[in-house]
Amino acid sequence: MTIRVMVVDDHPMWRESVARDLTEAGYDVIAAVGDGAQAVRVGTSLRPDVVVLDLQLPDLSGVDVITALCKDDTAVRILVLSASGEHQDVLDAVKAGATGYLVKSAGRAEFLAAVARTAEGDAVFTPGLAGLVLGEFRRLAATPADDGDTPQLTERETEVLRLVAKGLSYKQIAGRLVLSPRTVQNHVQHTLGKLQLHNRIELVRYALERGLDTDG
Amino acid sequence: MGLEVPLWRAVAVFRFASLAYAAALLATGYRTYTNPLLGVAVLVAMLVWSVFASIAYAAPRRRRWPLLIADMLVTLGCLSASSWVISHDRLQGGAATLPMAWVAGAVLAWAIAGGRRWGALAALLVGAVDVSLRGAVTTATLNGTVLLLLAGFSIGYLVRLGVEAEQKLQRATEMEAATRERERLARDIHDSVLQVLALVQRRGAELGGQAADLGRLAGEQEAVLRSLVGTGAPELRQDGDRCDLKALLGRHASASVTVSGPATPVWLPCPGATELTAAVASALDNVRQHGGPRARAWVLIEEELTEIVVTVRDDGPGIPAGRLTEAAQAGRLGVAQSIQGRLRDLGGSVTITSTPGEGTEVEMRVPTTAQHKAKVRP
Repeated sequence: MTIRVMVVDDHPMWRESVARDLTEAGYDVIAAVGDGAQAVRVGTSLRPDVVVLDLQLPDLSGVDVITALCKDDTAVRILVLSASGEHQDVLDAVKAGATGYLVKSAGRAEFLAAVARTAEGDAVFTPGLAGLVLGEFRRLAATPADDGDTPQLTERETEVLRLVAKGLSYKQIAGRLVLSPRTVQNHVQHTLGKLQLHNRIELVRYALERGLDTDG
Repeated sequence: MGLEVPLWRAVAVFRFASLAYAAALLATGYRTYTNPLLGVAVLVAMLVWSVFASIAYAAPRRRRWPLLIADMLVTLGCLSASSWVISHDRLQGGAATLPMAWVAGAVLAWAIAGGRRWGALAALLVGAVDVSLRGAVTTATLNGTVLLLLAGFSIGYLVRLGVEAEQKLQRATEMEAATRERERLARDIHDSVLQVLALVQRRGAELGGQAADLGRLAGEQEAVLRSLVGTGAPELRQDGDRCDLKALLGRHASASVTVSGPATPVWLPCPGATELTAAVASALDNVRQHGGPRARAWVLIEEELTEIVVTVRDDGPGIPAGRLTEAAQAGRLGVAQSIQGRLRDLGGSVTITSTPGEGTEVEMRVPTTAQHKAKVRP
């Protein structure tokens, strides 16, 4: 079965270029839209397997789109494509449920490989994203929650993330740590899962607190 | 617009209020005057001039010397006319002149138009005519002149002050607008130019050959432009005497250098941050020197509880295991030694590791309180 992809980017040239590359590579591009509201509407009705999403949208923030899409369909895989560099918005996107991140200047082959991995459910990390995730876990550790359920990285996970952040490929990391590349991929995946789970718990807690406040 | 409009309006109100007072004086002292009919005529002239002046001064382009001089001449004329209406003895005794306070209208006009010096000069002109009219200098006759002088001087001074404040406010507003415009431009550049540059880089790499070179150039410019518009205002990168190490190192990011770190700023005392940035820069220079322009490098910034760790890794050929210690022992480690020197000054440490085929890694650790020792010493 061909993989159904939706492309979200407010820049028409980009949208077309990315959609063409995907079609040529054998993907079924079911929609290419230019703003966040449209992305949520089309995404929730057509249910694509993979969403290639630009974080810079004219109306909604990329995080809002990701939250809406993940809420509707937990199986959707979102690959964030951004020109904005590795900053807070990328971290927020990943925490909200995106499973991969790639800078826009990445080459065609790199992009298609990233889409393929995203479709398989693998996390796509850049060194920049690894640095952000490491920083986020350290930030969480420095300001622990009252009830002690602060997510923590295992030593191995920290080790793997640091190597990813230093630009080593999974294969190189596997060689260094004497692991299989698949195990390296799993470690990376776990770190992302912990962050997303923590984010969901935080959101629920926030909503509960707000709800209790308004009731009382 | 602004401050001057209400000021001129206030002068117009003053003219009519003082005119009403002069009319009241004329009515009560009508029988004491030597020539009451001329007094009434002068009063009518003052009324006509008050109406004319109020209309004339309302337009900024007419507030020039011809009008100001005419205003002064009419005022002095009305004042001089007092000598035919009021007896000489009474004037000498300090009695009110025919226009009374109305003469201050012209003095205020000069003060507002020309500042404190012209205000004072106008007061002196009116005062001189007043004194010559009375024919004697006494405390009673001087009182009015001194009051006029003070009014002309201080009003002129206050008006300048107000106008300057207004100009400053205007400049500040203009600067604010310019800043907003710059921010808007940055957003636009972000949304359009960066995207196109990234697209050129992407397509160029696919086409190969000369197009690939163009693509690489576009990619480099994209990285430069992105760091220019993305890092925001300089004051955000500095908090008191602490600097954001991430922003400082971020300037070294390019198509071949990736800088990674936490999403939040990494604070370090500024001298320490600058020194550490210099150490990273020399490590990157070293990568370019030995690995060529195509060599890639990754800079990772990590903030631990008591330490900040910055790692520079390249994908060059690496250094065979024995060579590093050998070179260090022989004191031939050039760049590494300069990095070590800088880190030692910061109270930190450097570890250089290399795996043949997987490049070289320079790990620098500094305490979060790192100051540059040479600069801390008294």
